[in-house]
Amino acid sequence: MSIERSLPIGRDGLHVLAVDGVIWVIGQLILLLIFLAGCGRNERMDLLYAERCINCHGATGRGDGPLAARLPVRPPDFRQTVERKSNNQIRRIIADGKGAMPAFEPALRAAEITDMLQMVRFLSREGRDIAWWERFDTLVVAHCNIPWETVLGYDDEPQETKP
Amino acid sequence: MTTSHKKQSHSLLQRYFFRSVVIFLTMALNLSSASLAAQAQKTGAERRVTRRTIQNFSLIDENGARFTFDKLAGKVVVVAFAYTTCVDVCPLITAALRQTQIALTPQERTQVQLLTITTDPEIDAPKVLSAYAKRYGAEFENWALLTGDPAVLAQVWKNFGVGVKRRARGLIDHTPLTAIVDRSKAMRFAYIGPSPDPHAVLGDVRSLLKQE
Repeated sequence: MSIERSLPIGRDGLHVLAVDGVIWVIGQLILLLIFLAGCGRNERMDLLYAERCINCHGATGRGDGPLAARLPVRPPDFRQTVERKSNNQIRRIIADGKGAMPAFEPALRAAEITDMLQMVRFLSREGRDIAWWERFDTLVVAHCNIPWETVLGYDDEPQETKP
Repeated sequence: MTTSHKKQSHSLLQRYFFRSVVIFLTMALNLSSASLAAQAQKTGAERRVTRRTIQNFSLIDENGARFTFDKLAGKVVVVAFAYTTCVDVCPLITAALRQTQIALTPQERTQVQLLTITTDPEIDAPKVLSAYAKRYGAEFENWALLTGDPAVLAQVWKNFGVGVKRRARGLIDHTPLTAIVDRSKAMRFAYIGPSPDPHAVLGDVRSLLKQE
């Protein structure tokens, strides 16, 4: 007994169902790709971190960069401080500065600040047991705050501040 | 001993004497350089004694008001070149300037002015400079942070011998200069480097305060 005989939809109905199924699976895969896009650490983040952060925060975010020891206050180890801070709190520190740390908002695009924020999160996890909910942080950053510049690249110029 | 032998011996003596002098001088120079380098390593900035007349200039301070260098006549002025998004030498220079300000007595504060002149007018608007200074705890009674038109600033940088090169937005290469200007507007000491020793700066400031 063939399958089409056992189903009430007939041969044509089965074809339609199969095509619909394939389209549904492809659609889900595309949605998953969109969902995951921009969530991983990339070269752009590494470059930004190397240009603007590494001197003080160090290559792995332990606060041991070449300038760290000579600063008035030693930069924190991301592993000990970032976990307790919300994305918004970290974003404000990057944007407005803190102590000897520069305020990057006048110089960087919103998407670059988002990249810095993600980089801080990535570094804060290295070599540490992370809570289950922390795994979703980068998804939240990538999709709830500034999603598309992160995926497509920097296209908006920062606001000019004329003296 | 014949005359020719005497001449030869004299010439040999002369040659060795000069050689010894040259070797001695080279060694002394090396030691002196090593000592200066060690000092620069220790303090993070090389101190140079200089005399360079600073021309008057007019810029904008952290409140958006016009600031003229001439109005500081009769004061000793410590001038640092920095920009607010710097992640290299400027945080150390500004921190050293703040340490110097803290160490000044109330009476000295009336006779000593601190200036931070930006090397990045594109970013450093007055309110950006004001927020920057507050993060370091700066007291504005004798510390002003200056910005202005890029063309005017270029003249000021040149005046102090500061080279400035823009690499990207908010990333500037510049001479890490902290200068001390005497009451007659002559630059007398130049600290070149990331971290001028506040005690050494204070010592130079006080020596200039004693001069009429």
